[in-house]
Amino acid sequence: MLTIETLQENGHDILFLKGEVDASNSVILDEAITKLVTAGSSSILVDGTGLEYISSAGLGVFMSYLEDFQEKEIDLKIYSLSDRVFEVFKILGLDQLMQIYPDKKTALLA
Amino acid sequence: MIKLPPIHIGKLSLLLAILVWLALLFVDLVRLIGVLNQLESGIAVEFTWILQTLYFICVYGFYKYSINKSSQSDFLNLIWRGASTGIFAVAIFVIIDLFKSSLGQSKLAKDPFLDTFFYHVEFGLITIFVISTALLWQHLILYQKSKRIVKQWQAYEIAMLISMFVVFFDRGNPEYTFFFSLALLGILGTILSANLKWIPYLTFKEKWKSLLFLAIIIFSIAYLIWNTYVSTEDIITPVNLSGSLFILALFWFILVYAVLSFLVTLFNLPTSSVFEQKLTEAINFQRLSQSIQPEENEEEVLDILMDSCMSAAYADAAWLEMTSEEFPDGFTQERFIDRKTREEISELIQHNKTVQDWASEKRPDNLSPITLKVIHPKYESLLLVPLVINKSVFGKIVLCKEVRDGFNKEMLNIISTFARQACIAVENHRLLNQAILNERYQEELKIAQRVQKSLLPTQLDHNQNFDICAYSNAADEVGGDYYDTYKLDEDRYVLIIGDVSGKGTSAAFHMSQMKGIFQSLIQLNLSPSDFMIKANSALSKCLERNHFITASIFIINTAQQTICHSRAGHVPTLFHQKSLNKSEYLQIDGLGLGILRNMQYEKHVVEKTFTYQSGDALVLFTDGIVEAKNEKSQQFGFERIRTLLEVYHELSPQEIQTKIIDSLHAFVGGDRLIDDDYSMMVVKFT
Repeated sequence: MLTIETLQENGHDILFLKGEVDASNSVILDEAITKLVTAGSSSILVDGTGLEYISSAGLGVFMSYLEDFQEKEIDLKIYSLSDRVFEVFKILGLDQLMQIYPDKKTALLA
Repeated sequence: MIKLPPIHIGKLSLLLAILVWLALLFVDLVRLIGVLNQLESGIAVEFTWILQTLYFICVYGFYKYSINKSSQSDFLNLIWRGASTGIFAVAIFVIIDLFKSSLGQSKLAKDPFLDTFFYHVEFGLITIFVISTALLWQHLILYQKSKRIVKQWQAYEIAMLISMFVVFFDRGNPEYTFFFSLALLGILGTILSANLKWIPYLTFKEKWKSLLFLAIIIFSIAYLIWNTYVSTEDIITPVNLSGSLFILALFWFILVYAVLSFLVTLFNLPTSSVFEQKLTEAINFQRLSQSIQPEENEEEVLDILMDSCMSAAYADAAWLEMTSEEFPDGFTQERFIDRKTREEISELIQHNKTVQDWASEKRPDNLSPITLKVIHPKYESLLLVPLVINKSVFGKIVLCKEVRDGFNKEMLNIISTFARQACIAVENHRLLNQAILNERYQEELKIAQRVQKSLLPTQLDHNQNFDICAYSNAADEVGGDYYDTYKLDEDRYVLIIGDVSGKGTSAAFHMSQMKGIFQSLIQLNLSPSDFMIKANSALSKCLERNHFITASIFIINTAQQTICHSRAGHVPTLFHQKSLNKSEYLQIDGLGLGILRNMQYEKHVVEKTFTYQSGDALVLFTDGIVEAKNEKSQQFGFERIRTLLEVYHELSPQEIQTKIIDSLHAFVGGDRLIDDDYSMMVVKFT
């Protein structure tokens, strides 16, 4: 189960992820991000407080935007990941490529 | 040994009948000589009676056999058989009469021998006619057999058999017993004659034909009775043959049945079309309910449905409209209606309020046919029949009639039944096709599974310095986990384990690409980090944008007892050092393959070389094991695997592997399935 809420705050688009991202629902995440990009967002924040689990398919979604966002100069920041979920990003090496922060405050300051 | 020819009952009884008849003729002629010469011929009258009875039985036997045998036992054929026998008998009678009258007053005309001969011929013919007709009637009476009717008929047959012997008791003089028996048999015959259930099954045309044949039979019976009993001239007959109770009772029976049949058929004529209609409906219903074969198409069923509806409603025109996605421009079938008229009426229907309400019905399975009045120069009433499959309307049939209020309640009932049945047939057909398709996909997947299994090595390369075993399990038929080995030379061996993002078929395709890349690049004698860089560059051209592969590679040098290792985003490998009696995950950075698809990747891959001792162990696995969850949503996790290896490091690789997998299953819970691919490889140095 995955629910995504979006919120606009001071020019940032915040995605609240709740539940688990796996092969069956990674499309929902992909659609949510694509929607923000086509709407012209330049700063996307992903709130991972409610994220319990992310599978390789879910990581694939973030990964697929890496080059695209670099070109378009769109900021994608992830924060408040649980240790378990952060571990998954770290094992794959995504922590070196993506902006991952412990909380919202540090994410906004960076 | 003499082989007896098979006994042919028909021929045998016919032969016997002829012989008995000849014997009867001979006996009576002999007796006649005696009478004429006032001599006692010495032949008892019982002898004639016995022969007469025998003759009856033989003729009965012959007809019983031949009627049963004839395959063409439809009603008209049966009645025609009776009629033709009647015509034949009457014709012979007429010829005999003509012959007699042609003789005029000559001496021959008065010849008692000739008279007796003719008398016997006539008796023979009457017997044949009445017995054969009675047996034909039996077939008609027993058309719809019930126990009661069969019993009645058997009783009648037994009574008739007894009646043959009455003559022995009353000695040819009709007395009370004779009339009493005659009345009894007459009543029995009349009761039997009430069984006329075959008549409704005749079509209109057949009824006319059967009326004709029945008329012929009635005429024949009347003529034969008149000729035999009424216009008897004073001919000297030694023994009265035609006066037999048997013949008289049968005459009564066949006459009553023929007359009743004639009348009932006549009165059934006007309603026969209704019965025919119902019969057609029943047949149509049966045709509709037979499920369509997979190779046939739905249109055939819809064709039958159109025909059935039209005939049930006596519609003048009809068309079929399909609204399903298979026919985007609307599939239509027109019957007795041209395109222009159809479009005119369609227009009228679309603007009708009732139809709009009807079409917007929320629950289409409740939809029933509706009737409409329209103002159109040609058609005045319409019937709309919805075709509903799986709770959605996929089409409709519109029936048109030239008269106002042309559809009654019965028609509506039968038509909605037809429509429902046809829809069920179409639905079954679709489901069947779907099932066949699914089965084919299953077959294909099985092939894929077999092919994928063959991509994983069955023989793992190693030498006497280490033992190795591996295991892989896919969540679906095929999976995205990969492991392999390669022997570089006598001392150097390569191990790889990999995991494709996602699972199922797409993962399986990428896994096979990984195998190809590994097997080709490894031959270049690359270092682990160079291998990862090259593999990343190759996979960047093959993988979809949102897919990646994680991998761990190890080059074991048994001569130097070193391991060179590189990790590309794969779950860390567990290493047990016997000297420290401790298991730890190898900490090394590395980015998954296909994530960075440019030269930048080089910055994210490192390699590390370390030494091993005898008794050390390596456990390589994929994230399916780490992330396997129990019912409390807890993950199996890295720590459990580590503890297991610390406990079981003394065992052989195979045993360590079994312990870990068993404990994984125990953790997840016996019945629950692990919904990800998982694999592992265990190496133990000796």
